[in-house]
Amino acid sequence: MEDSREAGTGQAIDASGRRVDEWSECLVLIGSNQDRAAFTRLFRHFAPLIKAFALAGSSLSATHADELVQEVMLKIWQKAGAYDPRKAAASTWVYTIARNCRTDMFRRLQKFDTPLAAEDFTPEQDDEEPLVQLQSRRNRERIKALMSTLPPDQAQILAKVYMEGKSHAEAANDMDLPLGTVKSRVRLALQKLQIQMERQ
Amino acid sequence: MAKYHPSVDLLTEYAAGILPLAQAACLSAHLNYCAQCRQQTAQLQDLGAELFSSLPPQPVAESLLDNVLARLDEAPPLRYQRVPESGVGRLPALLQRLMRGDFRELSWKKITRSLRISYLRTGDPSFEFALYHIKAGGRIPQHTHRGSEMTLILQGGFSDAHGSYHVGDFLYRDAEDDHAPTALQSEDCICLAVLDAPLRFTSWKYRWMNPFLQLRPG
Ligand SMILES: [Zn+2]
Repeated sequence: MEDSREAGTGQAIDASGRRVDEWSECLVLIGSNQDRAAFTRLFRHFAPLIKAFALAGSSLSATHADELVQEVMLKIWQKAGAYDPRKAAASTWVYTIARNCRTDMFRRLQKFDTPLAAEDFTPEQDDEEPLVQLQSRRNRERIKALMSTLPPDQAQILAKVYMEGKSHAEAANDMDLPLGTVKSRVRLALQKLQIQMERQ
Repeated sequence: MAKYHPSVDLLTEYAAGILPLAQAACLSAHLNYCAQCRQQTAQLQDLGAELFSSLPPQPVAESLLDNVLARLDEAPPLRYQRVPESGVGRLPALLQRLMRGDFRELSWKKITRSLRISYLRTGDPSFEFALYHIKAGGRIPQHTHRGSEMTLILQGGFSDAHGSYHVGDFLYRDAEDDHAPTALQSEDCICLAVLDAPLRFTSWKYRWMNPFLQLRPG
């Protein structure tokens, strides 16, 4: 990819010295101008990740994985107008669409006859949740920084649950571990990443 | 403000998109009542996004990009008018869709003098998804479940030996728990219950109704 920015980081500094990310800019350009060049850049970056996500659980065939890539990228094109860079990093937004499409594909393959699509499950946000908006990018940065501190067994379980799409019970079964061990590893990982309930 | 919330295990499975459909619908309805869990879920989603971003990329054929580019015109960008919808004090939209009307328009099956049940269709083949209407002060006789039971209070409230629950409260019980919920005296209680039921209604009936009717005093 010919790009003046640092490879891989997607980070850039805008004129006012704020950190912005390239992919947010692409989404905004797509949303406001249907910019195909921006869409192509975004595709080259995210399509390989979506494909990796599709294949992670190894329950989707290569054909289904390609189908998912197309579906997600078309959704991104259609929905870019709703993307608000203040609320979420581009990759969070893209991940959410990929996750929803994959969940729907699983259900389709299992022949679910449902009136609901995964995106219907998005809670109705109060648009006025400034705290959440402010925190989202900081959360991402914190999680990114802390991820490398996770012991391998905890990181492995998170990958199973999130990327392979296994429930705690399925992960326990796969790894031949008691369910309680899986749950406690997830909880420990969340504590390390400082994603925890303030209550209790 | 809700006082009883889903466990972090459930929230994680929800954020990862792997909670069964009916349970996800119930949990998502709780989020409409609970800013705290919304925030927690957002963080769990951030975690998913971080894991996603660091996946080893898989090669994608150039022809796939061409296909998608050729199809962009079939998928015109959606227009969004920003209608700030305040979820406060309203039934979650997802539920309204499943109900296709309000509580009065549903068809309610009378189970006892104080309990009526209305089944909603989610398309999830493994879970019963139903609204329970308990008359003010009415009691559901002591019961246990062979599977799990997820409950979300939509109107009024009830109490059992473990506590008392109000609108927005979320409860998750598994097979070992037994309880005898009693609706608050002040108003009728409507709650959503998601049961880990067998596929066929008759066997569900057998498992739930039977002990229930036997135990019913008077
Ligand atoms: Zn909550």
